[in-house]
Amino acid sequence: MKRLVAIVEDEPAIRDNYAAGFMREGYAVRTYANRAQAMSAFAARLPDLAVIDISLEDEPEGGFELCRQLRALSAELPIIFLTARDSELDAVSGLRLGADDFLTKDLSLAHLIARVNALFRRVEALRRPNTPGEIVRRGALTLDAERMQAQWDGQVVLLSLTEFWIVHALARHPGHVRNRQQLMDAANVVLDDNTITSHVKRIRRKFQSIDPKFDAVQTVYGMGYRWVE
Amino acid sequence: MSLRLKLLLLGLATLVLPWGGCQYAREMESALRAGEENSLQAVSQTIAASLQGRTDLLYREAPPPADAPDSPPDENAGYAFLHSGPYDLKPLALAAAPLLDGYSDDWPHDPSAWAYFARDDRHRFGILTGVYERMLYVLLEVRDEHPLFDAPGTNPLDPGTFGDRVWLGFEDSQGEERQVFLAATAPGPVTARRIETGEYGQQSAPLEPRIRGAWQPMSHGYRIELRVPLSMLGNGFGVLVDDRDTRGADAVSYGTLRSDDLHTLGRLIVAAPELTSYLAQFMQPGLKLAVTTPSGRVLARADALAQLTGLGAETPILARLYRRFVDRPGTRALLESSAPIYDRDHKGVIGTLEVTQTANRWIRLRDHALMRMLNFSLSTSAVAVTLMFAFAAWLALRLSRLRQASESALTGSGLVTSFPETDARDELGDVARGFSTLLQRLNEYTSYLRTLAGKLAHEIRTPLTIVRSSLDNLESEQVPPSARVYLERARQGSERLNAILIAMGAATRVEEAIGGAERVSFDLAPVLESAVAAYRGAFPERAFRTELPTEPVVIRGAPDLIVQMLDKLIDNAVDFSPAAALISVRLRLDAQAALIEVDNPGPALAAHVQGRLFESLWQSRAGPDSRPHFGLGLYIVRLIAEFHGGEATAANLPDGSGVRFVVRLAR
Repeated sequence: MKRLVAIVEDEPAIRDNYAAGFMREGYAVRTYANRAQAMSAFAARLPDLAVIDISLEDEPEGGFELCRQLRALSAELPIIFLTARDSELDAVSGLRLGADDFLTKDLSLAHLIARVNALFRRVEALRRPNTPGEIVRRGALTLDAERMQAQWDGQVVLLSLTEFWIVHALARHPGHVRNRQQLMDAANVVLDDNTITSHVKRIRRKFQSIDPKFDAVQTVYGMGYRWVE
Repeated sequence: MSLRLKLLLLGLATLVLPWGGCQYAREMESALRAGEENSLQAVSQTIAASLQGRTDLLYREAPPPADAPDSPPDENAGYAFLHSGPYDLKPLALAAAPLLDGYSDDWPHDPSAWAYFARDDRHRFGILTGVYERMLYVLLEVRDEHPLFDAPGTNPLDPGTFGDRVWLGFEDSQGEERQVFLAATAPGPVTARRIETGEYGQQSAPLEPRIRGAWQPMSHGYRIELRVPLSMLGNGFGVLVDDRDTRGADAVSYGTLRSDDLHTLGRLIVAAPELTSYLAQFMQPGLKLAVTTPSGRVLARADALAQLTGLGAETPILARLYRRFVDRPGTRALLESSAPIYDRDHKGVIGTLEVTQTANRWIRLRDHALMRMLNFSLSTSAVAVTLMFAFAAWLALRLSRLRQASESALTGSGLVTSFPETDARDELGDVARGFSTLLQRLNEYTSYLRTLAGKLAHEIRTPLTIVRSSLDNLESEQVPPSARVYLERARQGSERLNAILIAMGAATRVEEAIGGAERVSFDLAPVLESAVAAYRGAFPERAFRTELPTEPVVIRGAPDLIVQMLDKLIDNAVDFSPAAALISVRLRLDAQAALIEVDNPGPALAAHVQGRLFESLWQSRAGPDSRPHFGLGLYIVRLIAEFHGGEATAANLPDGSGVRFVVRLAR
């Protein structure tokens, strides 16, 4: 059975382009232009993944509200925010609402589909609890590439997909400096310097909330970042 | 010319008030003067009329009989006194009685009043006569090489004792000829004697105590001063000098008496003493009355000119100062008026009445008015000038405040919209409000411009996403190879568009990053070291040099932002320097701040550029570039420097070889 991807986007051209892209990849696609439409459909049947624009028609923050309602319906459903806005604040709010990723519309369709595939892989992996995947261990850090899950001292660190891929890229070769371009490639995103910086900042904060002494991600000014053990 | 000066000059225009007052005072003065002249003329004519025909008063001569209808009509035929003969004496009207001491110094100095009579070179005398009140005073100066006194203590009738003698001959009031002589035995007082013939023909020489004088020798002669009551005198009067060289010798006699019978040859033309008292009844303070003969000799006068103390010492200095401005030279003379005195028939003129009045009366009147008016108008002017000056100063102060505010508003980094004087309700307030509104609009406009890039980036992103996702989809379609090239070009174009969008949003993202940045204490030196190492890799066609202090430079701030700031500075330095140029990054310390200096060789900054370099959306790049530029790089530098409590400046290197950017960061 085909997986169902819901696209909630008020711009018809983008909506249809994305729908075409997903369908080409073999997904079933439902598209909605606003929150009311989407919610009534979701009440009837939950999709397997939702791609949501933040501003929906006359609701500038409609996407956030939709995310909250959707999260209430299902805790596991992967949700991706896709927005023309790239403000730091939006990203933080979106991720705090339980979205799995927060992407700007600069992202190419191929990148978007890669992420969606990855999220589905994660869902799969989570459903097969005892199958060990590709595990990377670096000191206190354990990365499960299948489940896209990070643990520090045995505790799960809730990372967004982008954040996970950044940590993964850094931790795979400790001590090597990864410049921003390398991190973007690894995360399948195109971001500017400030966004990378704020991603790294968020990553540090999440680890520090578990271990206040966390200092494994080091900035090499002017070059990039590296993982130190 | 400053506003203050202009208003001051305008204030001085009120001085036209006192000037007008002075003109008015002059007009008033001449009107008063004309009035006074008229009334004086009336007074003089009245007095002259009252003296009409009074020859008895004027000349002590009875008027010609009124019952002489056949008297000849020729002018002044009856008035012999109007035609003086060679021996006639015309006494002066004296202002005071001379002291009878034989000296001439208390007589008026008037050479024309002297009459001289001479027999020969060695024998001559001068005579000066004067009248004061009821006395005739006579001053006689006799030239005599051998003055000779009578022998003292002897009978004055003994011819052997005779020295120099002086005879006075006169008609008495009844027309009888009378003679007295003066004989002195020593210098000093002398009393006249008359010769009387007794019942039996014996002669005696009793003193005539009413005629007294003094005898004093002088060089080449002697001087006699004497007085005779006018009541004793009629018309005729004469003097005869008997000059002897030795006592008892025959005398050389000469003078104005006939030498044989000593009868008078000339007359004494003098007014009656009553004329003076007659004039006195018309007297007022400040007035002088004089009666003169038709030829101009004063017969009598009454003088009270000095009685009215003028505007002398007691007048205030201010008044005298004012008068100096008002008075024209020569206008302060006395007022004079004269009227002819006619004879009884109103045909001939027997004299002239002259009335003189001091100007004091109307001058004082005018001065009083003038002073009040000048005081008032000058103080008005002073107040007006002071007020105008103060007002001008106040205005100038407000204007300069306005100017300073507008200058600082326009040159400051951010526009100030709070403006002084906007509460004022006058035109200056309007100007200030206009300025304020203008600045507000300007402020809105610039802040709009500042956010424009971000807004544009946001607005363009959606259509760009449509283009890009369409291209993505198109790539999966069956596209003929010939169309692939266009597809590729479209993709390149959209990538460039995307790069532009990212550049446009850079400032907004930095502002956001600053808003969310956390301050930590860190050592600046290794951050710079590491960043410059990265630039060496990023810009292989430039050389980099660092000058860092050996000790740690710890500041509080966000190292990420510092690196971003450095990125922009280095971007700028690379863009404006030639290939293979050496870019220096220097870290210095001063008392309050850490200074990051980036030097690059290249074109110097123009003067007009320096103040604006760090403004948003401003750039001085000459030509187009492959990369998009929005004039945000140095603006970001400024934002980050300000976040660190510092500032960014740019200046040309001292040797003009390039430019130095300095960022101060508070420690």
